[in-house]
Amino acid sequence: MGLGYAVGVVGFLILAHAAYSTIQYRSLLKITEEEFTGPPITVVVELIAGLFFCLWAALTVPGKFLSILPQSDENRVVALPSNLDFMIFNHRGKVFPMGIDMKQM
Amino acid sequence: MAVHDDSNGQKKKSSDALDEIPTFNVENMQNNTRIINYSRTFMSIIGGVIAGILGYTALTGFIFYFVIMAITTVGLAAKTGFAVHSFFDSWNQIVFDGILGGLLSFVLFWTFAYDMVHIF
Repeated sequence: MGLGYAVGVVGFLILAHAAYSTIQYRSLLKITEEEFTGPPITVVVELIAGLFFCLWAALTVPGKFLSILPQSDENRVVALPSNLDFMIFNHRGKVFPMGIDMKQM
Repeated sequence: MAVHDDSNGQKKKSSDALDEIPTFNVENMQNNTRIINYSRTFMSIIGGVIAGILGYTALTGFIFYFVIMAITTVGLAAKTGFAVHSFFDSWNQIVFDGILGGLLSFVLFWTFAYDMVHIF
């Protein structure tokens, strides 16, 4: 995860450098009195590189995806809770007819 | 009478053995949704900064935002290894979740970067 952060910071620095280059380019255009049609090609390449670095950081830094299926390996139940009074089990006994007379409860 | 929940640490949604409602590990599903939101928000911010630097105005900028979101969607799908159903409920989550929320962050950073680079 430290690598992800470093890549994100590098991407952000690349974007900041591209912004600074664009500011200088605009001041140059003010001197020669031309219109701003788009940043120079080096800045565009820098922006694409910064975008890819930040995309990589955005996908790796927040953490891994965890499987939601109950039958995958890391979702297996390997322990029972310690409060034995409240354990409920879902077993096939519910298809048997109830033998207890509920009125007596 | 009919019992539904497993009271173990990972609360599962209820499943009836006769009905085949699929169960999911809710904790992990929340974790995955949180990861998508973080990734999309960060990419919205980065997209806003790039749109400002490039000098996009009006419609071009919004189109650029949806392009960035499409790239993020492909990236997220690649992060699952393209086996989306073992991590999410449906495709809708990975494609549409967080897009409108990210739009506001995008516009904020877009105007901020545009001001910094082109006006100030």
